[in-house]
Amino acid sequence: MWRYIVRRIFVQGIPVLLGFTFVLYFVITIAPGSPVTHLRGVPNIDEETIARRQAQLGLNDSFPVQYVKWLGRVLRGDLGLSFDSSRRPVSELILERMPATILLSASSIVLGWVIGIPVGILSARYQYSALDYVITFLAFVGISAPSFFFGLLLLYVFAARLNVLPAGGFFLAGEPRTLVGYVQYLLLPSITLGLGSIAGIARYMRSSLLEVMGQDFLRTARAKGLSENKVVYKHALRNALLPILTLMGFTIPSIFSGAVIVENIFAWPGLGSLAIQAVNERNYPVIMGINLMFAVLIFLGSLIADISYAVVDPRIRYE
Amino acid sequence: MKKLLLPVVVFCLLFSAVAAAQGPVQGGTFRYALTTNPRGMFNPILNTEVYDGYINSVVYDGLIYIDENLEPQPKIAKSWEFSEDGLALTFYLHQGVKFHDGVELTAKDVAYTYKTILHPEYTGVRYGDFSMLVGAEDYHNGLADQVPGIKVVDDYTITFTTSEPFAPLLSQFTYGILPSHLLAHIPVGELELADFNRHPIGSGPFKFVEFLTDQHVLLEANEDYFFGRPNIDTLVFQRVAEDALPIYIRQGRVDYAEISPENYLEVSSIPGIDVYVYEALSYNYICFNMRQPRFADPVVRQAITYGFDRETYVEVLREGFGIVANAPIPMASWAFTSEGINEYPYDPELAAQMLAEAGWKPGADGVLEKEGMRLEFELLVPEGTRVNEQMALLFQQNMEEIGIKVNLVFMEFSAAVDRVDARQFDTFTMGWSLSVDPDPYGIWHSTSPWNDPGFYNERSDELLELGRRETDPAKRKEIYAEWQRLINHELPTMFLSYGVTIAAVSERVQGIDTEPGPLGPLVSLDKLAQIWLLQ
Repeated sequence: MWRYIVRRIFVQGIPVLLGFTFVLYFVITIAPGSPVTHLRGVPNIDEETIARRQAQLGLNDSFPVQYVKWLGRVLRGDLGLSFDSSRRPVSELILERMPATILLSASSIVLGWVIGIPVGILSARYQYSALDYVITFLAFVGISAPSFFFGLLLLYVFAARLNVLPAGGFFLAGEPRTLVGYVQYLLLPSITLGLGSIAGIARYMRSSLLEVMGQDFLRTARAKGLSENKVVYKHALRNALLPILTLMGFTIPSIFSGAVIVENIFAWPGLGSLAIQAVNERNYPVIMGINLMFAVLIFLGSLIADISYAVVDPRIRYE
Repeated sequence: MKKLLLPVVVFCLLFSAVAAAQGPVQGGTFRYALTTNPRGMFNPILNTEVYDGYINSVVYDGLIYIDENLEPQPKIAKSWEFSEDGLALTFYLHQGVKFHDGVELTAKDVAYTYKTILHPEYTGVRYGDFSMLVGAEDYHNGLADQVPGIKVVDDYTITFTTSEPFAPLLSQFTYGILPSHLLAHIPVGELELADFNRHPIGSGPFKFVEFLTDQHVLLEANEDYFFGRPNIDTLVFQRVAEDALPIYIRQGRVDYAEISPENYLEVSSIPGIDVYVYEALSYNYICFNMRQPRFADPVVRQAITYGFDRETYVEVLREGFGIVANAPIPMASWAFTSEGINEYPYDPELAAQMLAEAGWKPGADGVLEKEGMRLEFELLVPEGTRVNEQMALLFQQNMEEIGIKVNLVFMEFSAAVDRVDARQFDTFTMGWSLSVDPDPYGIWHSTSPWNDPGFYNERSDELLELGRRETDPAKRKEIYAEWQRLINHELPTMFLSYGVTIAAVSERVQGIDTEPGPLGPLVSLDKLAQIWLLQ
């Protein structure tokens, strides 16, 4: 097992991450526009000031030189300084926003499971009933609705019309940070972000459970006279849950990338607006830093999924 | 119900009349909505983002400030005078002005602030504002270690000298004064990394308390403020999602917000909210690349302007939030003139006739041609603003009617700027935000890097040089009036509209400018030190 993990990290993970950062750095440097473009709007700025800034930021180096310098710093644990006027360390910019993004992503993942699994079970147990059709219909709506649309819809209904939840944002300055407060601010963005995974998990749960229910050992269980509830919840469910675990590994990346959009709609103080701002301003170190961090998280996510798979199913061993 | 309502209204009116008659009251929290969060560069000589500038303008005070009529007014400098030859500008400082840490602000701090801007290792973007000071260039290039143009006379007197008169100079002394006792020991090249920038100490009406990234900036009243303690206790710049802004305003969670025209109707219907619409110091335009022979003849540029229905653009597409522009000095500026300015009213027949008289004839496909040139060109449109994209479509349609084919190229903003800088465009549309002083030299002089159309006109250059040197406002106004007529005739770019800003303010906020000029109801943010809140 340990050998497997070590191999996954060193033989697969690190080369993939290296290749990823190389391609990404290449792509952002060949993209039109430059990190000093926005300075053009400063009144009375002269060309020389822009040229000096360009030199200070190391933009006169060629792409390979810039990349190697960046990589060298990263290997020493330094993500560099942001290109915007505040010149703050990228690691600081990311770390101070991480908790909010993790809170939002985690709560939407939890929502996905807590709502998605029971709904999927209901749908499977009452296959082809009116309830099943309604759930199926809603699930497809949930999978297809773009998050920005759904987010605005929720804002309109719950904040603007019903006035029961805050319209995005986070605690006002001076507002006490209570648990209820957190839930209130978290509810709409995490539902928006979680909608896709709720719907997806419900659909997977349904088909997975149906597949298991048709198997011989369950017929045997019923033949032995077990109640239907026992058959479903004790015997079928545990087997049906297995594929859902794998799904978890795959939803983590989409949750994080979805967070970027949802955070912008709700002014959630996470990485989302930093990421979008950085792309618009061609803030290379910030773009690289955020993407590198996401890449590492996604890699760890799939690694954890693989490992937990082995834990749940004793037949699976990685050698 | 109706019967009940009347006394309530009367009561409210009475109540607010009483409250207003009471005069300023102390206390309360004022929340200013920001849709983009500051970055955390709370240093007035280093920030480049406007929102960081908001915080700087309340934490620090400058030598002067700009009032609602765009006139310079005394602040830390209680007065100033120009020498006879107009070259030396002397500021006389108030005595007893204190930084938030209790140390007195003197001419030494002023000299430190402005000398740092000129320093060879300075990393900010303000050098261009003061490069005309005597010796600034040598110091900036490391050839001298003193700036003769900045002279501390005594603790409360400082003189700035230029080698030739420079009219816009005075209005540039608005930057906040830095405490040299906290910063002078830091090498200028490393100043941008200093912790000070995240925990600023100035001499302004508000003290910095906390900055929570992407959430808010919190400030408290400076009890010992030289010009009198602000009436409000707490000032918050609260980040709000653009889409949620009307809801925040309705719920009373913010007291002040600049809103987009799309939200105007919704927000102005909210009880307890006043909405102000005022002209901004900005305009937008379609720029011709005059380096191309087909755009070299002013008749072509004039005909295109006659042929574009700019009234419809402003009245319908912008829903009236804008004013058709015909020259690059905004209406709100003292230098603006309408005398002798051609308004180029929409007249497609005249446009077609002008082009025909200039020798342009329809080719095989109906597009106008002349001596191998074709009036088929690209319009670069930065993406992201719906009204801009609609404008481009209207332009395309209008041009087709007079035999001109426009191909629209939509591009992300940075990419479009790249094309403009490389001069790889036929025409493009963008906008300019302007400083308080009307000096158009930086954009329009033939040597300016921002002269995107490639406009060169001897008389224009001459006027721009004269305008900068003339210190008599009346004469200067005359120079700029002539220049506006020249540009209005030449049309190196087609001016579309002057911008407007829309501000929503809670009625509980008292003491604002209710007939705002281009700086808005808070006169930039200067009024924050005087406003008060109905409790």
